[in-house]
Amino acid sequence: MRIIDLEKSQGDFQMRTGSFSIEERKIHGIIGGNGCGKTTLCKLIMGILKPDSGRIDYEGLNVREITMTAQRPYFIQGSVYENICYPLKLRRICPDEQKIDGWLARCGLEEKKYQYARSLSSGEQQKISMIRALIFDPKFIMIDETLSNLDPENLELFEQVILEIQKERPVTWLLISHRLAHIYKMCEVLHFMHQGEILASGSKDEILFGSEDERIRRFVANEVIRMEGKHGAFES
Amino acid sequence: MQVIKELLDTFFSDVGVFDAICVTFQMAFCATAISSVLGILLGLLLERADFVGKKVVIRINRTLMGVPPVVVGLIVYMLLMRRGPLGRLNMLFSIRGMILAQVLIITPIICGMTYTTLVSRAPAVRAFAKTMGADRLQTQWLVVRELKKELYFAVVTGFGRSISEVGAVMLVGGNIKGHTRTMTTTISLLKSQGIFTEGLTLGLLLLLMAFVIQSLADFFQKGERSDENY
Repeated sequence: MRIIDLEKSQGDFQMRTGSFSIEERKIHGIIGGNGCGKTTLCKLIMGILKPDSGRIDYEGLNVREITMTAQRPYFIQGSVYENICYPLKLRRICPDEQKIDGWLARCGLEEKKYQYARSLSSGEQQKISMIRALIFDPKFIMIDETLSNLDPENLELFEQVILEIQKERPVTWLLISHRLAHIYKMCEVLHFMHQGEILASGSKDEILFGSEDERIRRFVANEVIRMEGKHGAFES
Repeated sequence: MQVIKELLDTFFSDVGVFDAICVTFQMAFCATAISSVLGILLGLLLERADFVGKKVVIRINRTLMGVPPVVVGLIVYMLLMRRGPLGRLNMLFSIRGMILAQVLIITPIICGMTYTTLVSRAPAVRAFAKTMGADRLQTQWLVVRELKKELYFAVVTGFGRSISEVGAVMLVGGNIKGHTRTMTTTISLLKSQGIFTEGLTLGLLLLLMAFVIQSLADFFQKGERSDENY
């Protein structure tokens, strides 16, 4: 996929991405401060927002094969099961009960199958949202901070799931997260965004540790300090 | 049915209460059904479409939401009277004419309420539908399904307005006993005859019937939420 000079204005915010590529079948990460336009970029790729100018070359990828999960996922009125089956229903695919039960069991949600989805905790909702996004085997998956409310155990579970999928039938991932440890562990390619612009794209080591750009260095340093202060867990 | 009719005729004066009840519900159900389809579709269209003068259209709709029914009644009367543009349809002093007047009163209410709900809630539903790969039709269907409670409330409001309306149905229907007389026009007639107790009783009967219908509708709504656990 190629992003070509996307521009989008929303109130005072001005996005000018410049041009960059998202190589298929790789795990990409987007990092950047709050309000820098990461979610807007995902919405533009998803087709939820229309760009003021510029375009996206999907390179043969159908938009129906792209999915996105949000930090606060939306759930249709109904049970967890109905929500998981929704993308299958849209495609007239008969739900594979074993697969669904397998996913739910793996996430420790087997007893919540027939509960009202909106009544679940935010962590549980994020897990359901991930299952729902993965159930129809999309080719391009954007995860917009969806894993942010998960405890370390569940975060690791989904990290493992993503890596397993990449081994079995690689797809393209675009991860947005403030957890640098998570980004560092998962992503092959990183894009750094600042005030609506992609400042740099490259391998994770190039971006996180080899960048000359003062803004990137400051962002990484601040994030490391913040995370060390919080968890003392970021090691590189 | 005959027993109920006789019972009502025994209790009330010779004003044709049973027929008035039948006419009231026939008119209210038909008018609400037509207005619901029109109002919801127009609301959806208004929310989706971008055109010059959209704000003016919204303002006009909001104004029409509070239009005095007697004004609508007068306009419909002028349209349907023998020398009027729609005189050939022979709808004046008929239930069809009353339904037409009611549709003109209720449709802007349902359309306005639908539009207001959609403006605030539909973008999130549409964005979600997009992420799931829904096509245009599937997205619109999801929007309606997700907002069904709000749309149901708009329809119920329309029904309430229809069943309680008196000005327009009096003008267009003519309050003809056994033909176009409704419960509200009967109450008006009883009042003019000074029979207040019967008028009040009929009013309470009207309220009771509306309550029963509302309860039935609520019952079916609850059935769809049986899996909720909060």
